[in-house]
Amino acid sequence: MSFVLRMAWREIRMAWARLAFFFLSVAIGVAAVVALRSLAQDVRLTLTSEARSLVGADLVIQSSRPLPPDTEATVNRLLAQYGAQGTTAVVDTQTMAEPEAGKGNGAVKMIELRGVESAFPYYGAIELDGGVPYSHELLAHHGVIVQPELLVALGLETGDTIRLAGQPFTVRGVLVRDRVQRGGGIAFGPRAYVDLADLKATSLLGFGSRASYQTLVRVGDPAATTKLTDALHDALPRETASVRSWQTLEDRIGRNLRLAENYLSLVGFAVVVLGGIGVWSVTRVIVQQKLRSVAILKCLGATSGRVLATYVLQIAVLAAGGSVLGIALAAAALAAVPQNLLDALGVASVSVTASAAIQGVAVGVLVSLLFALVPLLDVRRVKPLLLLRADTVASARRRTWQSAVIAAVIGLALLAVAVWQADSLRAGLYVSIGLAIVSAVLFVGSDLLVRATRGLARSRRFVLRHAVVSLARPGNQTRVVVMSVGLGCFFVIGVRAVQTTLLASLATDVGTRAPDLVVIDIQPDQAAPIGPIVAPYLRSQARVVPLMRARVTGVAGANLHLATSDDVREDGHLAREFGLTFRAGLEANERVTAGAFWTAPLATPTLPDGVDTEVSVEQETFDRAHLALGDLVRFDVAGQSIRARVTSVRSVEWDDPASGGFVFVLRPGPAVDRLAHTFVAFLQTKDNGDARGALQRDVVRAMPNVSIIDVRDVVSSIREVVDNVTTGVTIVGAVTLVGGILILVGAVAMTRFQRMRDAAIYRTLGAGTRAMTGMLAIEYGLLGLLAGALGTAGAAVLSWALARGLFDIPWQPVPGLFAAAVLGAAVLVAVVGLAASGDVLLQKPLATLRGE
Amino acid sequence: MIELTDVSRTVSSGAGTLTILHSLTLSIPRGRTVALTGPSGSGKSTLLGLIAGLDAPTTGRIVLDGVDVTALGEEALARLRGAKVGIVFQFFHLLPALTAYENVLVPMEIAGVSDAPARARRLLDDVGLGARGHHYPSQLSGGEQQRVAIARALANDPPILLADEPTGNLDTTTGQQIIDLLVTVNRSRGCTLLLVTHDPDLAALADEVLVLRDGRLVDRRVPAPPVPTAS
Repeated sequence: MSFVLRMAWREIRMAWARLAFFFLSVAIGVAAVVALRSLAQDVRLTLTSEARSLVGADLVIQSSRPLPPDTEATVNRLLAQYGAQGTTAVVDTQTMAEPEAGKGNGAVKMIELRGVESAFPYYGAIELDGGVPYSHELLAHHGVIVQPELLVALGLETGDTIRLAGQPFTVRGVLVRDRVQRGGGIAFGPRAYVDLADLKATSLLGFGSRASYQTLVRVGDPAATTKLTDALHDALPRETASVRSWQTLEDRIGRNLRLAENYLSLVGFAVVVLGGIGVWSVTRVIVQQKLRSVAILKCLGATSGRVLATYVLQIAVLAAGGSVLGIALAAAALAAVPQNLLDALGVASVSVTASAAIQGVAVGVLVSLLFALVPLLDVRRVKPLLLLRADTVASARRRTWQSAVIAAVIGLALLAVAVWQADSLRAGLYVSIGLAIVSAVLFVGSDLLVRATRGLARSRRFVLRHAVVSLARPGNQTRVVVMSVGLGCFFVIGVRAVQTTLLASLATDVGTRAPDLVVIDIQPDQAAPIGPIVAPYLRSQARVVPLMRARVTGVAGANLHLATSDDVREDGHLAREFGLTFRAGLEANERVTAGAFWTAPLATPTLPDGVDTEVSVEQETFDRAHLALGDLVRFDVAGQSIRARVTSVRSVEWDDPASGGFVFVLRPGPAVDRLAHTFVAFLQTKDNGDARGALQRDVVRAMPNVSIIDVRDVVSSIREVVDNVTTGVTIVGAVTLVGGILILVGAVAMTRFQRMRDAAIYRTLGAGTRAMTGMLAIEYGLLGLLAGALGTAGAAVLSWALARGLFDIPWQPVPGLFAAAVLGAAVLVAVVGLAASGDVLLQKPLATLRGE
Repeated sequence: MIELTDVSRTVSSGAGTLTILHSLTLSIPRGRTVALTGPSGSGKSTLLGLIAGLDAPTTGRIVLDGVDVTALGEEALARLRGAKVGIVFQFFHLLPALTAYENVLVPMEIAGVSDAPARARRLLDDVGLGARGHHYPSQLSGGEQQRVAIARALANDPPILLADEPTGNLDTTTGQQIIDLLVTVNRSRGCTLLLVTHDPDLAALADEVLVLRDGRLVDRRVPAPPVPTAS
């Protein structure tokens, strides 16, 4: 063993500079794993440790309308039974905020309004600007605390008055940090706190309005919290209320973020694999250069096992060193994470975690060893006879069935590492298979390049001829460069192409036919008057559609029989909340595919068979849920039940932004008219911001209870999210590309000796520096062109597949980006290749030839 | 003692099989110095490689110091070389990453010799390079590299020393120094020395000269004593 240790040390000592590239390949991969995993772990630890603050209580009972008296009685009984120490009510809803007349900039803005009582919150703190301590007194008598962006949007300051649902509220504080989460759903604007009593005094909590009623419960004892949560779960009907405790939130956050951590680690793993390709490339060249040393050692009595152990140990030491450097790089990267990103993630700071560091080193060493093993195993086949006969070298590279078995075992081991990192067999398999396919395509592509350019080897131009010959020279790095640069290109261009497609689709949605404002919570008596108010600002007539929020509570059908809402939930296909509408005709984007759609409202109280009305079901849901014509579906609409017979199936063109779509459409009639419903208005304003602002002001003044969603704002928020995600993934792609370039530099450095010898001979034969530079530029340019073309083609396929398969939007080809990528890759590789070959071009031929 | 019985070597080539060494039976007693000469391509290096266990004969049996090398696998052959055979090459074949001292040390480390450092220093002293032990091969002249190679070949005190054109890559003066060194070693240690050489001066120092041509042993003679040069 001591021989192996000493030899490993001696070899590293001499080849330190040459192995630096190996070192970097490992370091970049490990840095990606450690940084991404640490980030996810830090966020998870912070959020799970703050779960109680996020809930604001030990547990929360939440419903979309006030609890019915019998349910409330059950809740109170259980609270008393399990020793609840107190409860406080919170109501979340949305409304429009505007400055008092004559104040501010005259804008109106949709906000998330929360009404609270004095005991709120039980846990966690609300931090206000200027260190002002939060107390409920600030909200008393029409006080309001708002997020700073609302003040900016309305042009107001603390102390000014804003109107909410037509009533004046004085701004008494500005929120800096507020961790208590919403009950769910998307936030449509900045948050504002008012006294619950004041909120109840507005018109905002009318029947059918969008509000979330929450009862925050303090229990104190965690065991009692668990028992009470379970008891409430069992006792409360699911369609009425949901119960969540800080423990369940902790579990959910933990689960989601662990998932995120594992997926991020897979991204890191992909970078490590790229580094692994670099390791493979370096090791392959090292082994080629060490064949003679191996033969000498065998001549001196060393067995293959000992020689192999010497090199394996070297790789392990270098990989461990590279991994440590990777941890340092990760620490530096985490220290550079901007504060606003940390704020968005809800953490104060991020640093390398011990478990991420350990995993990073383990992955770095494992992947390096696995990739190095393939070329290293050639050491076993080196015959000491090559010291007497140089032609024996060739036999060392012969492939045997053992190498195939070993390659398969190494492939399986890499798969195991991927599965370990993803903590999921499926995800690990997908990533491994994806990488294998991309690598195989790039590998085959590089072979095709060599074949395709073979014809150029007959060119009359000396420089071109010899550049092409170099691509196929023995020990060439063509495959390695094409694979590494191609993969980097694939990531970067893939992400950019997906971003372009997504943003183009968003732009289309806010285009000519789509509504740019949506007015919600319009009460039935406001449905007719709203038309004349908005008409002056519109370029097409307003569409005012009735809307009910409903759940399916039962199905009696030919294929499907779901007796209770529990059965519906278990079946899953119809378990979510649906938006229901009713009308007498089809929309432009609908087509009946089975049965017949009614042509007029139902005139009788019920259908002839006693069922309340008819319902038309959207095709995809119809198929997925195994419904059939004639089935009876029972809906719960805000506590009212209605039964409807399925009489038609519609295909809906969801992409059509003008008409939108509903899964269930009811036939209007006496039973439907009795259901609590509001109206939604879809508006297309004249193309200027003033019209939208004026419209919002007029509507809010006339109907303070309604809310207006500015689709452009929503789209720009989505655009922001897309931009952030794109930036994140682009950084990963850029790391990959940097890895690819490093591999390129390494590949050039590795063939340096062969190239110097070739260059010396060319020079001796009369080739000048210009010719030599031309040869290298053409050779590397061709390599870059192919890597860019293959990577970009893969990126185009990826963006197409994601657009069509995942996002279901039309694919947007980006020919300019694709062309720039291909050319950019060619130029980049040519420049890097030339820069890394400086000494080849500058070396005097005699020095090289003498060195032989 | 080196014994070859009916040893031949053929290789496959595009045109069929090529016999590079025809059937050869030969015995070299312990302590003898034998020179193997002949024109290029006559099979000298092939025969040396077969005796060193670097290659396997197509037919026949080779016994080194009582061990049938043709019956051994690669790993056993490596161990046998470490213990019983020292090899000196025309191109020295020192390990470039190791100093002269470490190059001499390596065979002893492989064999697990306990006083390897002291022995390595002594061997370097013996070949006149005691002061150059810390130099890397690239920092030594050809003659110095060959002396390190000889010291390395002698590291485990092998009963058999094989040398493939040991002066072939050196100038006359340096070559003569290497010849003197090999002869001294052979006489002082009593090992069997088999030399492949084109150099008549070197061959003249041997107890016996074997002449190969086209893979066949065509002559076997005792060389004439060297003619003293006038000083």
